[in-house]
Amino acid sequence: MDDFNPAIIAFVCNWCSYAGADKAGGQKLPYPSNVKLIRVMCSGRVDPQFVMKAFREGADGVMVLGCHPGDCHYRNGNMKALRRFKLLERMLSQLGIEKERFKLDWVSAGESARFQELAKKMTDTIKKLGPLHLRGMVESEVA
Amino acid sequence: MNGKKTKIALFLCKCGANIADFIDLKEIESRFSGNDTTSFVETQDLLCSPAGKKNMLETIEKNKPDFVVVAACSPQMHEKTFQEVVADAGINMARMQMANIREQSAWVTTDKKKATLKAIALINAAMERSVLHDDLQPKTMECLTDLIIIGGGMAGIEAALLAANAGRKVTIVEKEISLGGSVIKIEEVAPNMECAPCLLSPRLAAVRDNKNIRVISNASVTDVLGFFGNFKVKIKRMARYVKESCIGCEACFEVCPVTVDNDFNLGLGTKKAISTLFAGSVPAAAAIDKTNCLHFTDGSCNACAAVCPFQSIDFEDTGEDIEVSAGAVIVATGCTTVNPSTVPETGYGKIENVYSMPEFERIASSNGPYGGEIRLKNGEPPRSVAVIHCVGSLSDGGVPYCSGICCMTAIKTGELLRKKNPDVEVYSIHDRLVFNGPEQQAFFEKQKEEGTHFVKTERLRDLRVVQNGTTIEISGPDFQPIAVDMVVLSTGLTPQKGTLALARMLNADLTDAGFFKADHPILRAIGSSIDGVYTAGCCASPCDVTTAITRAQAAAGDAISKLVPGRKIALEVMTTIIDEIKCAGCKLCIAVCPYKAIDFDGQKKVCVVNEAICRGCGTCAATCPGGAARAIHFSDQQIMAEIGGLLHG
Repeated sequence: MDDFNPAIIAFVCNWCSYAGADKAGGQKLPYPSNVKLIRVMCSGRVDPQFVMKAFREGADGVMVLGCHPGDCHYRNGNMKALRRFKLLERMLSQLGIEKERFKLDWVSAGESARFQELAKKMTDTIKKLGPLHLRGMVESEVA
Repeated sequence: MNGKKTKIALFLCKCGANIADFIDLKEIESRFSGNDTTSFVETQDLLCSPAGKKNMLETIEKNKPDFVVVAACSPQMHEKTFQEVVADAGINMARMQMANIREQSAWVTTDKKKATLKAIALINAAMERSVLHDDLQPKTMECLTDLIIIGGGMAGIEAALLAANAGRKVTIVEKEISLGGSVIKIEEVAPNMECAPCLLSPRLAAVRDNKNIRVISNASVTDVLGFFGNFKVKIKRMARYVKESCIGCEACFEVCPVTVDNDFNLGLGTKKAISTLFAGSVPAAAAIDKTNCLHFTDGSCNACAAVCPFQSIDFEDTGEDIEVSAGAVIVATGCTTVNPSTVPETGYGKIENVYSMPEFERIASSNGPYGGEIRLKNGEPPRSVAVIHCVGSLSDGGVPYCSGICCMTAIKTGELLRKKNPDVEVYSIHDRLVFNGPEQQAFFEKQKEEGTHFVKTERLRDLRVVQNGTTIEISGPDFQPIAVDMVVLSTGLTPQKGTLALARMLNADLTDAGFFKADHPILRAIGSSIDGVYTAGCCASPCDVTTAITRAQAAAGDAISKLVPGRKIALEVMTTIIDEIKCAGCKLCIAVCPYKAIDFDGQKKVCVVNEAICRGCGTCAATCPGGAARAIHFSDQQIMAEIGGLLHG
């Protein structure tokens, strides 16, 4: 599995996690290039359909990163994300996607090292799981 | 695309060596140059430099692309810079999309080949997304420039004066019958030992004489509607039974036959059933205590009305409901103190001459119950006084934080006592001592020199206060028992009563401790979680008088700098809009909106976003099951395109 190069999408909120990733950049903290970011204003903006779309388009893992509880720039959008993705986690295994392929977590603007750590861990986890194989039936259902 | 091919311009920035050394920009150029939709690819040394921006502007003007992608640093660094360049070139700012290949690739990917591949994916995603961008236009709104201030203590007064002196109309809503808050109840402000009533009285007079300020006292806020620039605040003024024509001459005090506890003096001493808050108060008018006044209890008395030289008594007063419109709301409701009854070991309420700090402040005040003479219950001056620090703070069941200012107030006790009797023995029984800055530290050193005995104990919660004959004995596990005549309990500070109810009306967040939460704890400490709702003074956290006033001035200054007569306020551009054709009226969006920015149109049976309140988080767009709610600039289509672009780059 050494030659497996997973594709991982991370949805990051503009105010905390995107800034945390920027800080990791500023401090030149390396993390696997497999992890690629999509900026949203709030983790609460992330529709479960975005996660499913990412899996369908070939992502092997998806992360949603937001502000820590209590620190949301939009008061509590992150808690809305938490509620939503607790449900999605349960659905994923029903759809044949290991729940480890999805991760919701919190990274503040200052937590560059935490961002780096989460990116590394997620890459390791997905490398161990191997490529995501969506069976045709599931794929058409999801679509 | 109307038959015409969409063309995207791609600018690559070397960022000196920052990007060029870690990413193969030649490879990227060749990857995108042959692309159908790429108008041109241009690589520059430093795109954000004056030369870089000039070149970018000229290249765009010459080639007239439809969209621009800038592969460079983080948009948090230079999004605005490049938005301005494209706008100058005649392209809507929303048509510029950045790909963050520096922070997200060059700086964090050790392998150049991998860094280049990731950069290609990031650029591809930006290009896929950019073609779906709609033009955005700045949105503005007319606004009211008046302010409403809730709370007429020192902070509320200073906020009002600042705004009123700048020409704004200000309404102060005060729950007591007159202004002054907690500062008017103390004698001197440490460490400078400034006389508090002397600080306040010229400010009170300035409020009274300022035509721009309206004071609604004996009143409370019952509801708040609207948003930044356009609030409607509903106020209930309680009946005081005395008209505004009253000048507080006190003629009625002498004839009033009913004596009641003086609540201004925290129950120490008495007053009449008709009284002012204090002599020289603003508003000056007295008020009648209806529950005790004989006119109301048995109808037997009209003495005050008979003697009033201004015919100001109005037994028919029913109070009134008032509605005030304002552009911003400043909350200046202050804070309160822990009730020491909750710490029974202190003997408070059971042992005579054990006082809370606010009670001691009243006793020591020249406008207090005993004219500033500090006396025991038996009328004798105390020969020895102990102050116990941190009562109800940092202990089990108490407030879990240090209020930061009580040590200063606690050691001020010695200064006040020695002014009256230089031979008095003063003990400060403390665990941690908190003093900020040179003035406070110097004041502490002065108290030590002048004789206050500082008794350190690490077991404040194990103190016992007991009556022992004519004296009070304080004992603890790690110091010799101390016998004194009087005990003062320095209590921690807690949120003002009614804070939660007010926060709910304002839709503003509170901290875990129950104070108003700052918009940003460092950058915008005087803003609340709601635009246009400010905090001044101690309602945001315990603070000294200086800080309370500074916060008030900052809040008022910020508000009037944004609410300028004749100028509109800028609104968030990237809000959500709801397509009324797609909306099924399920109201899920209303339930998730953190700002209550969505209303239900009962006629059309659809949900409608109030763009003046919406901050554009997009939570409603993620929740809408019908795809009716569209987050501007972060639409489903745009994000889906970005996902595809990232995975197929």
